[in-house]
Amino acid sequence: MDQLGALMQGFADAVTLGNLVWALVGVTIGTVVGVLPGIGPALTVAMLLPLTFRLDPASSLIMFAGIYYGGMYGGSTTSILLNTPGESASMVSALEGNKMARAGRGAAALATAAIGSFVAGTIGTIGLTFLAPAVAELAVGFGPPEYVALMALSFVTVSALLGRSLVKGAASLLIGLAIGLVGIDAQSGQARLDFGVPALLDGIDVVVVVVALFALGETFERLLRGTGRETVEPVRGRAVLSREDWRRSWPAWLRGTALGFPIGGLPAGGADVPTFLSYSLERRLSKHRSQFGKGAIEGVAGPEAANNAAAAGVLVPLLTIGLPTSATAAVILTAFQSYGLQPGPQLFTESGPLLWTLIASLYIGNVMLLVLNLPLVRLWARLLTIPAYGIYAAVLVFSTLGTFASGGTFDDLIVLYALGLVALVLRLADAPVAPAVVGVILGPLAETQLRRALALSQGDPAVLVSSPLTVTLWVLIVLALLAPLAWRLTRGVRERRRTAPPVPVTAVESQADQD
Amino acid sequence: MSSPDPDPATGPRPGEEPGGAPAAVAADPPEDRRTVLGGGALGLLLLVGAVLVLAEAAALHAATDATPLGPAVFPALVGALMAVVGVALVVRAARRLGAAPSSEPIPLSRVLRLAGLLVLLVGFAVALPLAGYVVSSTALFTGAALLLGAPRPWHTLAYGWTLVAVVYLVFDRLIGLTLPAGPWGF
Repeated sequence: MDQLGALMQGFADAVTLGNLVWALVGVTIGTVVGVLPGIGPALTVAMLLPLTFRLDPASSLIMFAGIYYGGMYGGSTTSILLNTPGESASMVSALEGNKMARAGRGAAALATAAIGSFVAGTIGTIGLTFLAPAVAELAVGFGPPEYVALMALSFVTVSALLGRSLVKGAASLLIGLAIGLVGIDAQSGQARLDFGVPALLDGIDVVVVVVALFALGETFERLLRGTGRETVEPVRGRAVLSREDWRRSWPAWLRGTALGFPIGGLPAGGADVPTFLSYSLERRLSKHRSQFGKGAIEGVAGPEAANNAAAAGVLVPLLTIGLPTSATAAVILTAFQSYGLQPGPQLFTESGPLLWTLIASLYIGNVMLLVLNLPLVRLWARLLTIPAYGIYAAVLVFSTLGTFASGGTFDDLIVLYALGLVALVLRLADAPVAPAVVGVILGPLAETQLRRALALSQGDPAVLVSSPLTVTLWVLIVLALLAPLAWRLTRGVRERRRTAPPVPVTAVESQADQD
Repeated sequence: MSSPDPDPATGPRPGEEPGGAPAAVAADPPEDRRTVLGGGALGLLLLVGAVLVLAEAAALHAATDATPLGPAVFPALVGALMAVVGVALVVRAARRLGAAPSSEPIPLSRVLRLAGLLVLLVGFAVALPLAGYVVSSTALFTGAALLLGAPRPWHTLAYGWTLVAVVYLVFDRLIGLTLPAGPWGF
């Protein structure tokens, strides 16, 4: 197995003092931002992108990967203790986790989330180790038409899956694509959408876009809607699991992992879908079904594992095809680009040692996170007592710092504020922000591939469906577009049929929807 | 969701309509008035964007023989889709507005606070090269925290100064990002 040899070499490189320190810094920052409501890993990595000018690739990529994994661990702490999930993938953990915390079982909920995250993260990373080189080998044969189809699939699924409405997801994606158009077109040299502003000629920096969409949008909305008081549930007792808890948790961890990694690894994934699937699976299989909605430990263990396994899975298309399917993955792609590295099949052959060091550090980061999150969880929980005004004021300080460090002019800051207002409109409309981030980063790549494809075929658009793979992908795209519509239609029919016997069935149905 | 759990212990929830006829058709809770209006605003934003992008696409030079797909094609595609989705969002908002459950309007004081924050942010952008990183960021932190409801101004100022000083030391002195220094050197 050359993977094992390469991985061992990766471990040898990753356990140097410097790299261990960067991994520790990454997982610590990741846990902190995961815990703090309103900040997530995507925003944090974006704000730290200017550091890529100063650090060598291994250090910053190890740190960013640590932030990525750490954010998943920290996010569960918040959803369990505060019931306001920091990111949508942790939403499901809040359903049962917060109920457990209110019933005084917060420590067990945190423990099953942390251990489940560790188990799933490790299995997911093992999956990444063995799957990624194989996918990369497969992807070597991809030409521009395949990339166009893959990116189109990613666009469609990202807008359809993140958020409630396809139209709003598409709106968010299109705003991102339009922002991605700004600047000098690399192939023709013509400036697009620059409005005569010199700062726009280079395009709008990804840092500015991500910071505006996440940090400023959130802060502006907070200011408009006011800060509601939230109650932090205290953690009682040590974060340990009883024998009963273990017995109920471990199958849920494994099932969550089995759902999370493959779905996260699809070039259409994202971490939200498997968490919801895992929750409904656990609910169906559980012997303690009546506890669901009142604090069933399986309902925390399964989705948390699914969430972390999906996070590892998302790295497969990111590293092997260069296809980000979540906002954080999109920002990490930018970090690679700022070193002149383009994730894709060539990455394994050209920058193998760097990549294997990164993967090895994921294993190490997972162990660090387990240690950080089990004994120290009460320390992190205390972060939740920081008042909201302090968090958001600090977010503004870091946002402007990141923007200034990436561009450094007055105009960059004004662009940041303007995009922050765009993000506010998105939030007021209850539209997801992540598709816009994916659009900004993937849009220019998709345009380049489209033009390459048509240059190869001398303008014949049939090249886009020239191979069996592309045809399959385009069929999937059409299905992904039609599926929500069809689902809504069939569900509407079913609901209407069910409302015929009036009281009991609707009560049960709405019960199921709310859980 | 597809297997309703016939648990006799959990009866209908309080506040659940007994007949449930209108609520049962759409499983998602209906959007309140504010969200519907927000959707409409998003649609208008997309329409403005569509006009800008399409106008730009029309002004760009056409394709050459070397590159069959010129710089205008992708923007034209994005602009056209923006127009379609924008119209869809506006129509959707207009149709739902009548049936949307009312929500509390955003009080004027909050809108004023948002305007205040924007003024503060622009002021920060102006002051940054003149007053240096530490002073202008401390002012930004303190002002923003107070707008967000911080109770004690002097404590807030102290927190802000401490945070910004640490940021300055880590990023400027330790990592070496050059942050603007005011007349006093920090």
